[in-house]
Amino acid sequence: MATFLQLLFTGLGIGAIYALVALGFVLLIRAASVVNFAQGQFSMVGAYLLVVGFNVLGLPYYLSMFLSVVLMAGFGVLFAGATYWPLRHRGGLPVIISTIGASIFLENIVLFLYGPSPEVLPGLFDSPGIQVGPVFMDSQYLSILVASTILVILQYLIFEKTLLGKKLQATSQDKEMASLLGIPVVAMILITFGYSAALGGLAGMLVAPVLFVSVGMGGLIALKAFAANIIGGYGSIPGAILGGLLLGVAETLGASYISVPYKDAFAFAMLLMFLMVRPQGLFGEKISEKA
Amino acid sequence: MKLLEIKDLRARYGAGEVLKGFDLSVDQGEIVALLGANGAGKSTTLRAISGLVPHVAGSITLDGKSLLGQTTEAIARLGVSHVPEGRRVFPGLTVRENVILGASNRRISGADTKREVDQKFDLFPDLRRLADVLGWTLSGGQLQMVAIARGLMANPRVLLLDEPSLGLAPLIVQQVFKVIGEIRKLGTTVLLVEQNAHMALSVADRGYVLETGNLLVQGKPDELWNDPQVRAAYLGGMAAG
Amino acid sequence: MSVNLASARISRGLPQAAVACVAVVALAFLLPGEGYYLNILMQAATYAIAVSGLVVVLGYCGQISIAQAAFFGIGAYGVGIGMVDFGIGFFPAMLLGVAAAGLSGLLLGLGSLRLGGHYLAMVTISFQQILTLFLTNWISFTHGPDGIRGIPRPSLMGVSFASGHAFLALCLVFLVLSTLTIWRLKTGRLGRAMQAVRDNELAAGTCGINVFSTKVIAFGISAVMGGIGGALFAGGFQYISPDQFSFSESIVLLTMALLGGVQSPFGSLVGTMVLVILPEWLRFLQQIYLAVYGAAVILIMVFLPDGLWGLMLSRVIRRAKPIEGSVEPLPLLSERAAASNDYVLKVEGLAKHFGGVKALDGVDLAVRRGTVHALIGPNGSGKSTFINVVTGLYRPTAGKVTFTGQDITHAQPHERNRAGLARTFQNIRVFRGMTVLDNVMVGAERPGNDIAENPAAVVERALAALDFVDLRGDAHRQVGALSYGHQRYVEIARALASSPQTLLLDEPAAGLNLTEKHELGELLKRLGGHGLTILIIDHDMNLVEQVADHITVLNFGRRIADGTPSAVLANPDVVAAYLGEPRHEAA
Repeated sequence: MATFLQLLFTGLGIGAIYALVALGFVLLIRAASVVNFAQGQFSMVGAYLLVVGFNVLGLPYYLSMFLSVVLMAGFGVLFAGATYWPLRHRGGLPVIISTIGASIFLENIVLFLYGPSPEVLPGLFDSPGIQVGPVFMDSQYLSILVASTILVILQYLIFEKTLLGKKLQATSQDKEMASLLGIPVVAMILITFGYSAALGGLAGMLVAPVLFVSVGMGGLIALKAFAANIIGGYGSIPGAILGGLLLGVAETLGASYISVPYKDAFAFAMLLMFLMVRPQGLFGEKISEKA
Repeated sequence: MKLLEIKDLRARYGAGEVLKGFDLSVDQGEIVALLGANGAGKSTTLRAISGLVPHVAGSITLDGKSLLGQTTEAIARLGVSHVPEGRRVFPGLTVRENVILGASNRRISGADTKREVDQKFDLFPDLRRLADVLGWTLSGGQLQMVAIARGLMANPRVLLLDEPSLGLAPLIVQQVFKVIGEIRKLGTTVLLVEQNAHMALSVADRGYVLETGNLLVQGKPDELWNDPQVRAAYLGGMAAG
Repeated sequence: MSVNLASARISRGLPQAAVACVAVVALAFLLPGEGYYLNILMQAATYAIAVSGLVVVLGYCGQISIAQAAFFGIGAYGVGIGMVDFGIGFFPAMLLGVAAAGLSGLLLGLGSLRLGGHYLAMVTISFQQILTLFLTNWISFTHGPDGIRGIPRPSLMGVSFASGHAFLALCLVFLVLSTLTIWRLKTGRLGRAMQAVRDNELAAGTCGINVFSTKVIAFGISAVMGGIGGALFAGGFQYISPDQFSFSESIVLLTMALLGGVQSPFGSLVGTMVLVILPEWLRFLQQIYLAVYGAAVILIMVFLPDGLWGLMLSRVIRRAKPIEGSVEPLPLLSERAAASNDYVLKVEGLAKHFGGVKALDGVDLAVRRGTVHALIGPNGSGKSTFINVVTGLYRPTAGKVTFTGQDITHAQPHERNRAGLARTFQNIRVFRGMTVLDNVMVGAERPGNDIAENPAAVVERALAALDFVDLRGDAHRQVGALSYGHQRYVEIARALASSPQTLLLDEPAAGLNLTEKHELGELLKRLGGHGLTILIIDHDMNLVEQVADHITVLNFGRRIADGTPSAVLANPDVVAAYLGEPRHEAA
């Protein structure tokens, strides 16, 4: 039982990371109708920026983290300029393919610059963690959970309670109409990309002390975030969060009780199962097109 | 001075010239109808004013200030409010949110927004009941009301209305034109594009008739109504019904 | 004349195939020496076969698959494991590998293709990852990360393919055959169905195409092509390992397809050749070459949307010849069935609720054979919902729909179309990426149509429908290039070519000017006189009065009037709810 609770805690921590990446992913779907296959590489780039700031330049940890988040927001804008902007009038498929291209490009350019050996980053806190009953709460997993909760609440408030959020939504639903109303459409889209990249980057920085920083870290996280998004319900914010947590727990338990080498297969098996049985996911709306 | 003045307006889509150079003006407080057959260039004229047509020549001025070459957002901020064909109400936002976003072109406090939204609901009482309903669930007539209310929230110098009666039941068409009459009482300047010449001329001060990108004739409603050339081409026969 | 044209369409490709096979075999044997060039060509040929599968699934059918390397790997491991561990021959092992690839493709497709395009993308990525895990970790079966060495090459009927030249010849023959097959597929019935699904799924369904199974078949074909390529790859290089079939290889294959042009197998061939040979020249790039690939994908999407092949074609001025010769007029116009009293379409107690909104609330409606029946009512009264439920796009909450005596309440859209129910859409739904003729041919070859199985007759029927709406001269134009009014006529021609029992028209006059409206009215009257049953929704009372034999009026999802035009239009409820003022006063 104690092991189970311990695993549950770890699973939730990992799941929170999936949820964060899934949130950035859902955001782009909702605000710009973009399915971004490079969302995981945002996390990877974010973690490497932290490595550069803290390990290489020797800046203070929190300062490098802050600078990395800011840089990631700028990076998101650049990313939009390269992969989305030139293709925005050509439907969903070309943009999807170009974000796939971008994901390959980012991984390999970082590989070229930094080499294949993984980097190590320390955690947010020096204390290893706290003991709560039978569960040892590792400080890094704890910070992941707290940070994710704050970010989720923040995003909900921005999207549903502010005029900016409504303008972002309007832009995603009908860009030409939004511009006729005087909403600065370009700025809205760039804000979304910037925020999404910052969120992805932050997720990468939070998970870095747990996983090692490697070129391939983002791809796998993103795949699980996609899976979380489908399991929770495509384009649904609460779905992305719940789906992410569920996946994190399932694969942690699976790895411990069933098989370690196939740890990564559990997420995909779960995804396939959901697609067969409940394709609209946990919170999904019925998928139908108006004739 | 004319409020909105268009001179020698030309526009092309791909290889074809859709506007072939004509003049048009709208005075402060006027309702001007722009009539003509499908493909005559009516909607293109409105889209050109709003900066949505890429290749435009000639001049378009609002209060003597050129609109040509400005972005759509900038033109909206100068006071041009465009209610496009097809209503284009945001499907995933509520009626209230749609109307609020109509004021995106100006700086306005939250309290003023609230008050103005309330005024729009006085103009369209049905919308008050539907305030928290999502756009996609509305019917065509309701959508048109939201679109016009949203357009008025811009506090426009000039309101561009594109085919407000398109696809609406006869009864709803009558209601929409009643509202346009109310708007006129508020002193709002309107440039109205319509397929339904009969209804349009019943509310307009002046009208222009376009034919394949050229100006065919302009004048007061009764002059147009009695122009044999116009009657034969656009108003006659079935339209009188 | 047009019969010749159609048979020419069928037989083209066969002589070219024979000539091309001989040519590539000769080429393979004429190449100097063993080794380097043979290996490059072998790699290019086997990759190109796999890439041509992507043309089918992505180019024709518009679905994104990112697991082509996985299917390639399944084919390769089928040969490797079959020959090395189980000692079976190359061709049986190849068959096993290809079958395994095809089967996994079908299963994945069945699971994910009911949903939109990005679902397949995600599922294939997942599949790719799982496969890599298995290839690496299931050492007892797959030999693990070390891979399988010493895969023998086959001999068939006394001919040995052991030499590099001979095996290359074998690969090239497979390549020629697969390329030509996939090229031919595009202009055939299945290929047209795939493109229709790509361009507009809803319209494809209402044209009798089983959208889901068409997508599954496209994906299945693509997986099989991947398997064939992989099996030949294993025989050619005689050594396979998991990293040859990883996610990044899938991306390489996808890039090849996109670079060459995903609309044609010739394009994918060009793309594969370029990307196999280019890295050999660009060896100095070393680790960065995948980064260049990634950047190339973006640049291709931005600057070369139709790929290299599309670019080459656009440089060649192609002027399709107008199709001369007369064809039999549409047969449905020759059966002069008078209006009768039996009901073609009968709807009882139909209800459709969206959440709490009762869009339809128990509507009864019966359409007599050979009549023009109009359905009118205020906006939001449920007319469009009605037509969408009757054509199967929405599931009814309650009620029953009977068509020519069959209960179709729960039938799929394509099943209803096969029973003879055709429709047009309020906002036009044509297949934008296809020509006018191809659009109408999709209608003509609906399963259940009398001439659907005869390709020559399908062309004739489509031309007859185009004659009827006077668009024969535009037959070879892309439908997107036509005006709005003419696209509407293409939609009507597509429906007419399918020889429907009943035609449902959803606001056909919306957006038409007076002259066009008048023409439409004339066209509908001509149709109505010929035994075709029509159910029309429109707001234009002049049009409705001009054509209707019978009118039903809806308001708030309920029927408020039903009867002859004169009675219904004078009905005070109808005037109050809909017309606003009685008809004929102004005129």
